[in-house]
Amino acid sequence: MAKKEKESGMAIGGDIQIHYNWTVGKAGERFLTELKDNKRIMGARCRLCCRILVPPRIFCEECFVEDMEWVEVEPKGTLVTFGESYLSTDGKPLKEPWMLGIVRLDGSDGGLIHLIGETRPEDVNIGMPMEIVFKDKREGNIMDILYFRPAKT
Amino acid sequence: MTRKVAIVGVGMQKFEFRKKETVEEMIFDVTRNALEDCRLSKEDVDAVVYGSAVDAFCGIHNSDKVAIDASGGILKPTMRNSTSGSTAISTPILGYTHVASGLYDLVMVICYEKMSENLAAQAVFSTCYDETYVRPLGLNVPIQCGLEARAYLHRYGVTERQMAKVSVKNRGNAISNPYAQLPMQLTVQDVMSSPYLSWPVKRLDTSPVTDGARAVLLASEDVAGELTDDPVWVKGVGRGADSFWFMGRRNADLGRLDYAYLAAEQAYDMAGIRNPMSEIDYAEVYDPFTYKEMQHCEALGLCPEGGAGHMIDEGISLKEGSLPVNASGGLMGEGNPIGAGMSRLCWCYLQIKGQAGACQVQKEVNTAVCNGWGGMFQYNAVMVIGRSA
Repeated sequence: MAKKEKESGMAIGGDIQIHYNWTVGKAGERFLTELKDNKRIMGARCRLCCRILVPPRIFCEECFVEDMEWVEVEPKGTLVTFGESYLSTDGKPLKEPWMLGIVRLDGSDGGLIHLIGETRPEDVNIGMPMEIVFKDKREGNIMDILYFRPAKT
Repeated sequence: MTRKVAIVGVGMQKFEFRKKETVEEMIFDVTRNALEDCRLSKEDVDAVVYGSAVDAFCGIHNSDKVAIDASGGILKPTMRNSTSGSTAISTPILGYTHVASGLYDLVMVICYEKMSENLAAQAVFSTCYDETYVRPLGLNVPIQCGLEARAYLHRYGVTERQMAKVSVKNRGNAISNPYAQLPMQLTVQDVMSSPYLSWPVKRLDTSPVTDGARAVLLASEDVAGELTDDPVWVKGVGRGADSFWFMGRRNADLGRLDYAYLAAEQAYDMAGIRNPMSEIDYAEVYDPFTYKEMQHCEALGLCPEGGAGHMIDEGISLKEGSLPVNASGGLMGEGNPIGAGMSRLCWCYLQIKGQAGACQVQKEVNTAVCNGWGGMFQYNAVMVIGRSA
């Protein structure tokens, strides 16, 4: 971390504020629509190598073809790694840590990164089975998943 | 048929937080230093290559245009490179290809970053994540490192104490470096008791936010002999990239940097190096965090895979060790102005030339390796340099 800020020279203050509308894309649109409407996690299966990509894409980056089909994958899987933080995203200290984890989803060759909830860092281990908790009122974005939690089933 | 390429000069300056110079003034300083280092004028330079990782740090997009005047680039071919943190080494590799291809005889390579122009580097880093699947989660740099470091420790059994020793080493080495931002005399206990950012990464496992620039002057074999009796040659270069979709990529284990092993393999193949542990005399390894130096020592073959903990425990990578790593202080001690991490290459050069001052290691250095890392667990770039081509 940086040392205490020393006296600095003359400076001109200013902001750059730019609003964006990020295109979700062909694959992302289907993924988010199924998530919102049906609480389903969709993967894209390459018909050549049979890998099931999550997040789904319209092409297989290894076979380099667009020959994909949509398949539903399990809303549960295995924790690959996780990280906790006592700082908020904008750097403010927090009393309770928050966590993000990468979960390899069952029935797929890919995974998702998302918040981890209903547990504390000391109770979480790499390799744990995890499951997705969906939001009740979904809007068609990745936050329609509330978080992963240690699997109860 | 490619031509041999030599490094004939470097331009250094002090790394600091909140430098008083503008981006342009910083670049003028290192350009002039590099030209003076080999007694050349800007007219001698055929082309200029720039490297900067993230424009949002300095708040001037396409910031390379700011660099034109200060680098002697007016009415010359210029080109800017950006591969996140690995810009630090992929940019001199771009300069190398400019010369090796036969297009130019003398190329100036400038890397710069003015990270402190904005009020929160974290806010800038947050703009680097995928918008659909990642950014809404609020991922920050501490957790990004936590994800990777936890996977690394889990896979290889490396310990937090071993990580702490890397911080003690690098910040201690920086005390001898006149350009260093954060020299510190630390104990393992100091590091271990600093607050966690994200387990196992603590505050003193990290590198600072830094402003600074570096310049490297590259010459073809056709002109290098006129410039120096003691050229340092680029022996090998390599790069690797892994999938943007880190959460779903084939190698799901972030603990092993497949792309870094690949980059090292290319560079060593080109350099004719079969056993880096005995053939590499010195290394400057990309160390934005303690565990990154350890992962990179393994990927670069400076110790066996999973052996970086043993390497630091045995003192092998200390300044007086048998394979010193980051005697300059590295990014942790000298400072971490992302693209200007090209300083790793500069210090390899200075060690080979015997011009590293108080940072000079005791052993003779003929062959050295450096690397850069960047992105969301994405890129690695490796360069091997030495007395023999």
